Parts: sequence; structure tokens; C-alpha cells
Amino acid sequence: MKRFREVLTLFLQFMQFGLFTFGGGWSIVAQMQKLYVEDKHVITSEELLDLTSVGRSLPGTMIGNVAMLYGYRVYGVLGGLACVFGMIIPPMAVLAVITHFYTLFQQNPWVAAAMGGVRTAVVPIMLSAVLGMLKSAFRYAPCYLVMLLTLGLYLFLDVNCVYLVLIGVACGIVIAEYYERKGDAGRGAH
Amino acid sequence: MVLIDLFISFVKIGFTSFGGMSMIPLITSEMTVHNWMTPTEISDIVAIAEMTPGPLGLNCATFAGIRTAGLPGAIAANLGALTPTLTLCLLAAVFFERFRKSRIMTDMLVGVRPACVGMLFGVILSLCATNYAPTGTISPVSVGLGVLDFVLLTRFKVSIPKVICLSAALGIVLFGVLGLP
Repeated sequence: MKRFREVLTLFLQFMQFGLFTFGGGWSIVAQMQKLYVEDKHVITSEELLDLTSVGRSLPGTMIGNVAMLYGYRVYGVLGGLACVFGMIIPPMAVLAVITHFYTLFQQNPWVAAAMGGVRTAVVPIMLSAVLGMLKSAFRYAPCYLVMLLTLGLYLFLDVNCVYLVLIGVACGIVIAEYYERKGDAGRGAH
Repeated sequence: MVLIDLFISFVKIGFTSFGGMSMIPLITSEMTVHNWMTPTEISDIVAIAEMTPGPLGLNCATFAGIRTAGLPGAIAANLGALTPTLTLCLLAAVFFERFRKSRIMTDMLVGVRPACVGMLFGVILSLCATNYAPTGTISPVSVGLGVLDFVLLTRFKVSIPKVICLSAALGIVLFGVLGLP
């Protein structure tokens, strides 16, 4: 019974995180840092950093992964599930309501005018996100070729992005292995 | 059946996306292949997902799911997008220490990151046509707004929700009240 109550607490805490996670995944890590590291001392700051870096390196949503890793660490599989589903329910409910109204009012001229304005912001938002990714994206020179290859395949041959990522995976393993064998001293320097 | 198709599409998206914006090109591909969303709707969902709580990828899943098959669609799409978390990440949690030291994921990311940059540039270029020339001819007002938004975001570090709100207000004034093209 005590265990059940603790898992429920975890679920509710992650519901709260989920409700206040705007934009990227970093705000949830900051909230976890505050609650579990500074207030309750459940894990150390280094452990949270480890969870975050593993969560980031796995496919899928980064914060979903971090939630799973944290939940498993404290209460096993049940804890992991509690964290993941706790975190996704509030944003899903909010977005369900918004999508409903979006569909209802899409044709309204005032809404259409507002969305016309909003759409002009989407390319700048994506562009600024890509500019932020440039620093970490090109660790070795051949990475530039991978970028040009995927861009070309996307624009000119309309290749589905799922395959482009798989090409990226294959290239990454080959490139990293090559530089590893060459004994690149710069490896690990981020 | 559309629920199964949605689930499978988002499983593919989930397993090939690595956080944040990198999901957008994958969602664009899968949504347009199935005719579930238009490029205009993809622009809208990016903006809406940035304004609401929760990770971008899951918000896109909810939006796409509801638009194609209502609430069950949203649940199917979210479960699909969460499949890597519920499988691979659970395995990583069980074998955490071994996983932390393993090189395979970081090696893969060496190629995945530049691929994501390439795909994102591709999506950005195609969205330029949708968003700045919605009727086929370039709208100078839209281009001007886009430049203003970019300067606000990068030079003045204005937060994304504020930029979106400002763009909505300017859209109402310029396109709605003044009736500019």
C-alpha cells in the first residue's frame, strides 16, 4: 500500500512537471533538479546529469526518456510508467482542447488573419533552433557531407525523412569508427 | 485501419527522432505521405506546440491524431511516439551502467545530428513557400514579419511564445483590419 501511494505521488509530481513544461525539455530537468536534488535529496545532481545525457542520446522524446529513467531508478518499471504517463497526460489534454477549437475556428477570418501572422514566425523559430544545433552537429569534417547529402535527398528526390535518419545513423557509425581507429585525440572533447 | 496506420507512423517517427525540432521533418514526411496534414497545418502545429506545455513531438502527435481520428487517434499517435521510451529506454534503464559507458549511441549521433540539420534546412526551405507565398505570389508583408521575428528571436533573444503572440497580433492588424495580401 505504501509503495502504491509512493508511485501515485510520483505520477502526480510528473503531471505537475508536464503542465509547466514549455518549449524544450530543459525546463523539466530544471524542475526535477529543484524537487529531487535540492529539496528531497532523492538523487544527486551528477546522477540527474547522467540520466539526462542517456535520455538525450536515445531516440524519442528526450523528457519522456528522462522521466522513464528516473522513474525506473526510484520505483522500477511501475515508477517509470507512472512518470512517463503522468508527464504526457496534461499536455495531451491541453492540446486536445486547443485542436478542437482550432478545427472549429480555422475558417473564421480573424483567426485566419492571426494564424497568417503566426505562420510567418515558424520559419524564424525553426531557423534559430537549427542555428543552435550547428555547434554540436559537425564534430568531424565528413559530417558536412552528411548534411549536404540529406538536404539534397530531401529537396530533390523527396526521400522520406525516416530513411534520411537511417542514412545518418549508418554514416555516424562509419565516421566515428574511422576516427576512433585513427586515434583521434580530439574525441570526447565536446 | 487509420488508428494502426497512425500508430505505425509515429513509431517510425519516434525511433528516428532525437529530441526537439528534429521530429518536425519526420512528421512532415509521414503526414504528407498519408495526406493527414497540409504544409500549412504543419506550420500551425509547430507554432501551437511551441505555445503549449509538453514536448514538441508529443504535441504534434496529439494534433495529428485528433485531426485524423479524434481522441483515439491522439492516443494511438502518442503511444507510437512513446514506443522508443517504453521499450529501448526501459532497457537502458535496466542496464543503465552498461549503457552509460557504451559508445554506440554517441557514435550514431555523430551522423544523425548533421542529417537532422540537413533535413531541417530542407523543411525550412519548403515551408518558406507555404508561409511567405501562400497564394503563389510572394507576400512582402509576410516576408517583412518573418524578418522582424527572426531579428527579435536571435538578436534580442525574445522568447518564442512572445514572438508568436506578437505575430498573431500583427497578423490580425495587417491581414485582418488592413486587408493586406
